[in-house]
Amino acid sequence: MDYLITLAIMIGLSVALASSFNLIIGYAGLVSIAHPVFYAIGAYVSALLARDLGLPVPLAMLCGALAAAAASAAVALPSLRVSGDYLLIASIGFQLGVLEAIKNVSVTGGAGGLTNIPAFLVQDGGKGAYAALVIAFAALTVWLNWRIAHGPYGRALSAMRDDETAFAGLGRNAVAMKVAVFAFGSGIAGLAGALYAHYFRFVTPEQFEILQSAALLTMVVVGGVRTTWGPVLGAVLLQALPQAITFVDLPPAILGPLQGLLFTGLVLVFMVLRPQGLIAAGEAWQPAKKYSAKTRGEA
Amino acid sequence: MTPVLEIAGLDKRFGGIVVADGIDLTLNPGRVVGLIGPNGAGKTSLFNLISGVFPSDAGTIRLDGQRLDGLAMHRRASLGLARTWQNLRLFPSLSVLDNLMVGPRRYLGDRLLRLALDPAGVRAQEAGTRRRAEEVLERTRLSGVAATPAADLTFGQQKLVGVARALMNDARCLLLDEPMAGVEGQAYEIMQQVVREVAEGGVAVCVVEHNVAFIRDLCDEGVFMFAGKVLARGPVADLIADPRLTELYFGT
Repeated sequence: MDYLITLAIMIGLSVALASSFNLIIGYAGLVSIAHPVFYAIGAYVSALLARDLGLPVPLAMLCGALAAAAASAAVALPSLRVSGDYLLIASIGFQLGVLEAIKNVSVTGGAGGLTNIPAFLVQDGGKGAYAALVIAFAALTVWLNWRIAHGPYGRALSAMRDDETAFAGLGRNAVAMKVAVFAFGSGIAGLAGALYAHYFRFVTPEQFEILQSAALLTMVVVGGVRTTWGPVLGAVLLQALPQAITFVDLPPAILGPLQGLLFTGLVLVFMVLRPQGLIAAGEAWQPAKKYSAKTRGEA
Repeated sequence: MTPVLEIAGLDKRFGGIVVADGIDLTLNPGRVVGLIGPNGAGKTSLFNLISGVFPSDAGTIRLDGQRLDGLAMHRRASLGLARTWQNLRLFPSLSVLDNLMVGPRRYLGDRLLRLALDPAGVRAQEAGTRRRAEEVLERTRLSGVAATPAADLTFGQQKLVGVARALMNDARCLLLDEPMAGVEGQAYEIMQQVVREVAEGGVAVCVVEHNVAFIRDLCDEGVFMFAGKVLARGPVADLIADPRLTELYFGT
């Protein structure tokens, strides 16, 4: 049972990460693969504030999310003012730099990881309560992203992706929108990181490496970029599948490589057979039905 | 009459190529000015300098007395400057209606915090924008294609959408870059009528156009540009009749 609860928590966190990453690379068209580093910032900031400064865990989590959002804005602002392409370079540099710093600073526990992170909710409510919290957080993230993508903000993002010059010529501030969306998505990642840290109570820098970036990118792309349910499906599939094959009675020496093979094989199969992902995004931007009815005065 | 747009001593060069050479130009409310000149005269570049696609090297641009030069493109638009593009630049993934709905000078829906804290306010503004967009579509005879993706329209209709989108700004000054290139038939009449109506509302309009008949029918005045300079300004018929300008235009 514990195993299933932990799996549910991992899936919930992946859903939140993939969904917020989809907002950044899909809807906003911002090419960054550094989502895991904001996940890391949320985890470390929250863990350290709660462990070393004695902050209540919920407050520490909020600080972790805000720190991730602030860090992402600091990366995005200078690079987006030049050109969107620089964001990819800046974000990779930032990811490598932050992880290197974490590995070499004593306060973060170095490469060995950060231990004794204060627990939250589990001691009073049990692991089931924590899983419920994470799933509620994941659901909220998906809902928020849906709201953003299919309301006036999503319309503006769609226009911005189509033609940024014409967009600016209409009086819209593209840089401000990109920074805001990047900070929002990264803040969600930070909160996910904090939720991870206070459940597992142990984090190491290697969990947030480029490999994790690749996994997240796969979830979004295989699931279906620029769709609400694509990243959800991708996250569930890619979290659950590697776990599922552990039930097959195989020696660990084969199991590890088999998981890797499955992972990359899936990407290759999708690349050839279904490049749009499991759920395909429509060509045109669609407003939420209820929303457009309201602005027409029909509801 | 107080001018809406005042340009003084505007210079711009790209390396050795001079696109604006001491341009002085004023646009007055309610007047339509046609910008004519051969290809490469600097007409579109002038629009780009006014709207802020690239910065000028020297000179000033004022809209209702307020300095525009040095401001970012979106700031200039939000002060009441609207333009269309030679190569359309519509948003293909949006419907015609949504193309227009991105266009108002104030758009609360592009602020995440605003959306979170004041959803009712954003919704009210969206409703107002939608009514305004429907009205503009009516005027440009595009109501029938409001829900169609912009990319699926005929070229003439797309040109009209470009103008309709610019009208959403309720601009003080409207710059139209070749609104008639490739447009025939009904769209021609509609375009003439719409631009006229806009000017009558007190907007200063400037049109770059190679279609001389369109310029003659529509414009109160013409400005002849050559090699980044304004060479002459006056009634369009006089400019067309001037043998010196005709020679420059056709490069004989």
